[in-house]
Amino acid sequence: MAKKISFWESQRLQGRIASWILYVIAWAGALIFVIPLVWMISTSLKAPGEIFTNPPKWIPYSELKLDYKTKILAEHEGKIKIDKDADGTVRIDLGGYSHVIPAIAELQVKKKQMVNKGDVLATIPAKGKIRITENKDKTMLLRIVDPDGRSIKEYNITQDTRPVVKDGDMVTEGDKLADVMPQWSNYAKAWAPKALDETFTRYTINTLIITIMGIIGVLLSSTFVAYGFSRFKFPGRDPLFLVMVSTMMIPAQVTMIPMFILFKYLGWIDTFAPLIVPTFFGGGAFNIFLMRQFFMTIPYELDDAAKIDGCNYLQIFWTILLPLVKPAMATTAIFGFVYNWNDFMNPLIYLNSTSNYTLALGLQTFTTMYGTDYNLMMAASTIVLLPILLIFFFGQRFFIEGVATSGLKG
Amino acid sequence: MENAIKKSKMKMSTQDAVWGYVFLSPWLLGLLLFTGGPIVASLILAFCDWDLITPAKFIGLGNFIKMFTDARFLNSMYNTFYYTLFSVPLGIIGSIAIALLMNQKWRSVRLLRTIYYLPSVTAGVASAIIWMWLLNPDFGLVNYGLSILGIQGPKWMADEVWAKPAIIIMSLWGVGGNMIIYLAGLQGIPRQLYEAAEIDGAGMFQKFQYVTLPMLTPVIFFNLIMSIVASFQIFTQVYVMTGGQGGPADSTLVMVLYIYQQAFKFHNMGYASAIAWVLFIIILVFTLLQFKFSGGWVHYEGELKK
Repeated sequence: MAKKISFWESQRLQGRIASWILYVIAWAGALIFVIPLVWMISTSLKAPGEIFTNPPKWIPYSELKLDYKTKILAEHEGKIKIDKDADGTVRIDLGGYSHVIPAIAELQVKKKQMVNKGDVLATIPAKGKIRITENKDKTMLLRIVDPDGRSIKEYNITQDTRPVVKDGDMVTEGDKLADVMPQWSNYAKAWAPKALDETFTRYTINTLIITIMGIIGVLLSSTFVAYGFSRFKFPGRDPLFLVMVSTMMIPAQVTMIPMFILFKYLGWIDTFAPLIVPTFFGGGAFNIFLMRQFFMTIPYELDDAAKIDGCNYLQIFWTILLPLVKPAMATTAIFGFVYNWNDFMNPLIYLNSTSNYTLALGLQTFTTMYGTDYNLMMAASTIVLLPILLIFFFGQRFFIEGVATSGLKG
Repeated sequence: MENAIKKSKMKMSTQDAVWGYVFLSPWLLGLLLFTGGPIVASLILAFCDWDLITPAKFIGLGNFIKMFTDARFLNSMYNTFYYTLFSVPLGIIGSIAIALLMNQKWRSVRLLRTIYYLPSVTAGVASAIIWMWLLNPDFGLVNYGLSILGIQGPKWMADEVWAKPAIIIMSLWGVGGNMIIYLAGLQGIPRQLYEAAEIDGAGMFQKFQYVTLPMLTPVIFFNLIMSIVASFQIFTQVYVMTGGQGGPADSTLVMVLYIYQQAFKFHNMGYASAIAWVLFIIILVFTLLQFKFSGGWVHYEGELKK
């Protein structure tokens, strides 16, 4: 009975097959995780006509075709009678009222059919000359005109749409008029939205000021305080450390309202001060904690050697220890960047005038004004996310290290 | 052990103490100005009625009594619990599952880790906007995906019933952040434990059940606490997706959004502070309960023992 090892008993084969199945699952999951971002970029490059399609279009390219038919409508209700003339002209009789249909038209009704007033009797495929004129805003107006110069159909053509027809060309139904290329101009439109007072230049400058000042504040004060917690023994240190760790548990909402009132009395509302100044006072319990963990790993012999060389504590801190905790500072800086860049609630509370808005606030305002222009909304979102994505790719190591330190050594 | 080294190396002196407090001073000042002071002020405000213009009026427990009859408050509490009840367990299961996958020795595993982690750094306004588009009832990718499976997708953020699940699904996109923590935890499990289990004839699932899971419990415990605290404080996603309203029909009005509305839209500073304290106490109770029950399931090995 035990001669042959059955499939389920063979550990190695089992392991290999399981590994393959897991590999496929892992990639399928990764695909789902990355699709929203791909979809964001794809949508951001679409022309207005390409957004609402079913099934969805992944590649932001399409061909613009002349798809217009002139409709001949029934003027009365009645039963259809059809007569054909020698030259191909069709006469439709509806209870005594005659409709003349030219030969080029396509009949949409059958004999003896009952029609109501307003029903389509026949359609004439559009045919006409191309007239291209430039609008004021660099876009072009492409018109199809009939021999009498009347406009049959008009298309607004964006900068990124390349016409394949020239002024004066004859076109008929179904002819290709233009290549709708990826709409890079969406980014320019989103960057300087017409419906808003400010451009993303202003939001970016504001966000950079807040983010950079915030990071400087956090780095300076968290290392300073962590040095105190890790290198000195004094009465009350350990209880204070416990207090610091427990402040991490306090939800920001509890302190939010009194802080708002405090800053209001200081006259700091609608300035960057409420977002920057607190970072210079410790820089957050989490960051102090992270830094302290790093300081603890540095041997005390270094401090002692420096002391013998005549360094005071400030010099030891600045010239000996700070260079050694650079990796931790990089991690903190990157997390600080992501935090400030994404922060929404604090700017929402403290900033009122649009000229002081951060990217997060500007983007939110943008969506309230351009609620259905998903291509522009996605372009704006891409603009806001791009620096974060770049920082992430170049600083991946620090993200992973930071999480491992704070999450496990705790 | 660390403490022993420290004691021998450090002389207890007044000079040390002075310098210690010098280095702690920025934080101590911050604690006073931006944490301690505001907490006391907030506690006082919770018992007052104040609109920022007329003088504050002490009303005792008035704000807390008002909550019991305030349908919007009760609803915001229900919505917050609903969100936490689903997003936290799903997030933990999802992030552990992904971490287990990312702990394999595949050649492309680094790229996979990046892909899974990426969405968690995009958290904020932009990701909420991306999801507004993904969850569009008529042209969104989510409903298109469902239609391929033959399912008629719901109206998501336009439907009272489906708005909360929509926010929960969106939150799951960010599980990569916790995944990295679990991954670090998985990589810290000593190989010998697996080898010993293999000698005892343990299969894949048994190794997971008797080695991986118990060794991971301290990390799960840490994550559980942090996730619950974070999920009770959900705000930005809801604010962006509903234009600050918490709609449709208050179905996504969460507690923090309600605090925001009371404080900064209606200027009921006292009532808003009272609700903030209720939120704080809920979070505190949940955290303490977890610590109380952690002994039953959290396994500390050797040096990790606390």
